[in-house]
Amino acid sequence: MKGLLIKDMKLMLNQKRFFVTIGFIAVMMAAVVKDTSFIISYMTVLGAMFTISTISYDEFDNGNAFLFSLPVTRARYVLEKYGFGVIIGISCWLFSVLVAAAIGEMRKIMPVRDTLLIAVEVLPVILILLAVIIPFQLKFGAEKGRIVSVAAIGAVVVVFIFTEKAAEILNIDLELAALIDHAAEWNWGMIAAAAMALALVLLLLSAKISIRIMEKKEF
Amino acid sequence: MLKIEHLVKRYGDFTLDCSMEIKPGCITGLVGQNGAGKSTTFKAILGLIHRDGGKVELFGKDVEKFSVKDKQKLGVVLSDSGFSGYLDIHDIIPVLTNLYDTFDRDFFMKQVQRFGLPINKKIKEFSTGMKAKLKVIAAVSHQSELLILDEPTVGLDVIARDELLELLREYMEAKEKRSILISSHISGDLESLCDELYMIHDGKMILHEDTDVLLSDYAVIKVSSSQYAELDKQYILRHKKESFGYSCLTNQRGYYLENYPGAVIEKAAVDELITMMIRGDV
Repeated sequence: MKGLLIKDMKLMLNQKRFFVTIGFIAVMMAAVVKDTSFIISYMTVLGAMFTISTISYDEFDNGNAFLFSLPVTRARYVLEKYGFGVIIGISCWLFSVLVAAAIGEMRKIMPVRDTLLIAVEVLPVILILLAVIIPFQLKFGAEKGRIVSVAAIGAVVVVFIFTEKAAEILNIDLELAALIDHAAEWNWGMIAAAAMALALVLLLLSAKISIRIMEKKEF
Repeated sequence: MLKIEHLVKRYGDFTLDCSMEIKPGCITGLVGQNGAGKSTTFKAILGLIHRDGGKVELFGKDVEKFSVKDKQKLGVVLSDSGFSGYLDIHDIIPVLTNLYDTFDRDFFMKQVQRFGLPINKKIKEFSTGMKAKLKVIAAVSHQSELLILDEPTVGLDVIARDELLELLREYMEAKEKRSILISSHISGDLESLCDELYMIHDGKMILHEDTDVLLSDYAVIKVSSSQYAELDKQYILRHKKESFGYSCLTNQRGYYLENYPGAVIEKAAVDELITMMIRGDV
């Protein structure tokens, strides 16, 4: 697995300019916008999603056939993609939290505590995003995968909106809504921990599905 | 070392159903036309496709149960796939070092220099020949026991091809009981390199013979229609109608040389053999 991680790191380092550019944009944005915490989600999403790009690089020019003739099993390949997404996502997250907190404090527009609160909220969301997108990418490939995952995320949002609207019209107090209402009474740390736990469970479940997808593939 | 028994794979109208064996210490060639089933056979051996039936055993183990450790014993070259073009040689060294416990970095670098490959150039900018050389060098640099080479010399000029074949001979000499399974369009490569040849056509193995026997005992007999009528056909494998009469393929050259001193009997090169086996009638 280390060999695969090194391969993806090397592919990423070949895109140094891309990362320097988004880092630069992040710093510039933090210096201008009111809500410096915005750069946390921006950077973390871009970083974590690089694992999706590496899947496209692997597929390019029928590269997967050779890749899977190397000492690499399909399961290890999948786990490496999740691992790589999490490693790069968290690295970008750490970097952006530092930048957002420092600039927020320097410009006196956002206390460090507020930045950290948002930072903790962003992390599980990014992990869930990875959990949703990676299986689609593996199943449908670079081009179709992108469309299908965007559609899937859109569908989830639409379902949420409709459920909410329907509940409103029917005047049903949804369990979820009740949960959110009561959330204020909860310990904030508990919510963060629960969100993180949920994200990790989804990530594991997603990895299991991805392994099954890869096991069925032919190259 | 490698045993394939009735490997079946279906793609629409095409059905592969082949058996073959590769013995330790042997170089085995697989010849056949485009679409005959060579690449499908290679892919099934490597577990890249799921077979519909049959058995493929490598080192005494079903290839579908192969672990990372088992795969380290293989060196692979595929004609239509290779390292990511976005990497350079400098990038792939640590990748190979971490994938193979026995990767010999010094040997690899020596070969890279020997073949004049650029270290810091992206592989996608390599010429076809350079890509082919890199694939073979990577396959022989980690003490593998079996090389599986699908068209390793494709796109190479004569000199580069000779150099690569030399590299393969060195690989065989370095350690006993190493084996190679190789396919190629250039039959000359196979004639000079292989101990055994398998010929595949329409998904079936239609010929399996020692290369020595092939080159010494197989022959094409050229006869007129009247000579053909009188020809003893018990050792004729295929015959083909020609403008002058008939071409006949035999695996008993000596018999016809002795009994038909007036006939034109030419040794069959692998190319002719393929043509006769595929185009000729039984």
